[in-house]
Amino acid sequence: MQLFEHVRERRWPTVFGYVLFVALMVAGYYYNITFVQLGLIDLGTRLVGMTETAVSAWMAALALSTLVVAVATGVTMDRRGWSTDLRTKLRLLLGVVCVQFVLTLVAPGIRTVPAFGAWVLAASVGLGVGFPVSFSLAVDLVPVPDRGYVAAAITAVAYFAANAVPLSWSVDVFSRVMVAAMVPGLLALAVLSSGRLDRVEDVLSELGTQHREFGRGRFSHPEPVRARSAAFVVPVALMFGVFFVDSLGFLRIIDTPTLLLSSWQSPALSTRLFIAVAHVVGAVMAGVIYANFSLSRIFLWTFALFSLTHVLYTSDLRLAAAFPSLAGGASSPLNPAFYAVAVSFYTTLNFALWPDLSTAETVGTHSAIGIGVAGWLATFSSTALALYFQAADLTLLSHLNVVQALSLLLLSGVAAGLYGRRLVALARGDGGVSA
Amino acid sequence: MSPTEAIPLLVVVLLLASVGGGDVQEMSVTFEGDASVEALDDVHVVAGGTTTVPTDADVSGDVYVIGGTARIEGTVDGDVTLLAGNLTVVDGATVTGTVQTISGESSIAGGADIGRLSAFEAPAPSNSSAQRVGGFLLQFLVLGAAGWWLAGRHPVLLENVGAAITDHALVSGVVGSLAAATLLVLFVYMAFTILLIPVSIVGLLTELLVVLYGQLAFGYLVGTRLPVERARVATVAGVGLFLLALEVLGMVPYVGGLVQLGVAVVGLGAVLNTYFGLQAFEPVALPGGSE
Repeated sequence: MQLFEHVRERRWPTVFGYVLFVALMVAGYYYNITFVQLGLIDLGTRLVGMTETAVSAWMAALALSTLVVAVATGVTMDRRGWSTDLRTKLRLLLGVVCVQFVLTLVAPGIRTVPAFGAWVLAASVGLGVGFPVSFSLAVDLVPVPDRGYVAAAITAVAYFAANAVPLSWSVDVFSRVMVAAMVPGLLALAVLSSGRLDRVEDVLSELGTQHREFGRGRFSHPEPVRARSAAFVVPVALMFGVFFVDSLGFLRIIDTPTLLLSSWQSPALSTRLFIAVAHVVGAVMAGVIYANFSLSRIFLWTFALFSLTHVLYTSDLRLAAAFPSLAGGASSPLNPAFYAVAVSFYTTLNFALWPDLSTAETVGTHSAIGIGVAGWLATFSSTALALYFQAADLTLLSHLNVVQALSLLLLSGVAAGLYGRRLVALARGDGGVSA
Repeated sequence: MSPTEAIPLLVVVLLLASVGGGDVQEMSVTFEGDASVEALDDVHVVAGGTTTVPTDADVSGDVYVIGGTARIEGTVDGDVTLLAGNLTVVDGATVTGTVQTISGESSIAGGADIGRLSAFEAPAPSNSSAQRVGGFLLQFLVLGAAGWWLAGRHPVLLENVGAAITDHALVSGVVGSLAAATLLVLFVYMAFTILLIPVSIVGLLTELLVVLYGQLAFGYLVGTRLPVERARVATVAGVGLFLLALEVLGMVPYVGGLVQLGVAVVGLGAVLNTYFGLQAFEPVALPGGSE
């Protein structure tokens, strides 16, 4: 890791850049996976009194709206040169955190559907601006060789905290914790954005020039990747597949009390800790593989892990269907642990991939399209499909069977695609050996 | 007992039933509650709760106990196998076939009429030093012979795997642990399909062989650090020292086992990353990184 080199050579501003990036991304991601994804369901169903279907529809709207705002923000950032201006990005981020702070504070007081809808739209603006801005900080703060490890650290810390700290999935609890946690973050961002402290300004000046060295991502050599090229479109499509498979499966799992209470919402701390540790292990593994192997290898592992996870889930359900007395029995933590490893794998990839497919001049647009299409559009589509499944009274086994089929299809598709690419290269005489 | 816990033992039952050669048409499983059986399917599995064959019952079929309690008071025309849980055969009860205890708690009354009584004695290496020495020597002979052959004929294979272990231990460990965990689960679930049991067995054996190959590479590495000039002799000596070190580590509670596991996954990953030593492992070159 280059971080150790920077520490040895006492390049403290660069080291501070690592810490700042990890802290900002952990805070943002933790907020997203807890408050936005879980708190919103509780807010809509319990406090506003909406049906789960109605809340899911609003969440799909949130995802779509976030995609639109994110792409608009990313394109604007690149066109106006904000992507290469660290101070502007920090100010934008301060604005986003201010909006989210207010939204978090008022959320438990919402009682009507129109207020809920307005909250969702306002939240989508915050998220849509926040994602491209925060991801684009990687070109200023994280050297290319360390992006896999830094992404692993973000994933590990965020998921460990989300799983190990026994918070109830209630918007009141989330709101109290988030507001308390946001205050120091707001102050720190305000100090960084103020431009009034010479010491801070010196550090920012140094960090602000690092994009010249760190800006061109791993996959943008020798030529920058363009948004319309296969080098960008294929990873976006594959990440869309990963997000879609994860979201479609997870939506149903958390809607099934027996599965939920024996895993992510287990009253036993040991079970939650086991899952939290599995997330950390998965993140570390993904970081190591990202830094040492080709991109295709980590995609293959991700799809393989998802396929295996859903084979485990569906096998258990098939067994329980064959022997109904098993259905009420305690569920093994092995399945959610495998799930956690798979989720950590692609989350790590998600944090490192978009800056690595960009340059300092394109990171806004590429991050926005990448996260917007792969993350938010996939979430929107999978939520819509899950709602359709719910309306069609699809059983848990049938639902997860579809997810398993999709993950196996993606796994075999990636494997066949890689083999086909090699085949074409050999046929063209690029690196092949003739007999 | 959860489905995940039950699956491996049910697979074992299916394997044992298949090996037994009987024509199994129907199988029933008791997972919970108290059950008194007056009739049995071809195979009945007790996975939880208490299943009783009452005094006046005369049932035909094989009984497998993988959890819970089985209590035989009447007559069972077949075999009774205890894999886990509890088995009680009371005075006056009859089992025409074999009562086999592989693991679990069994209580067979002296007045019970048993066709044949069999108890599987698991090898207990810690109890018999002769067995431990025998096992060690066997492993040393097999790995030493393989090391002798490879060091003489294809030393580059061991060099490549060894280099992946020493220069890229973390990457090897990550790939090894991922591969070991996923393949293990995959093969166990393959076995559950019945059709793929042979593939599952071959897969598990192959995984074991790859781990042993990794151990061989560790032995080779130890050998290169010994003051022995002949590569073959050094490798065999290194294998011996490495296996000895593993044995010693096994005596250290917890930490020893963890280190052994770590060594196994690093070796496995190194073998896989180098395609069994056919190619030196080189991580991808990252722009901005040290070349």
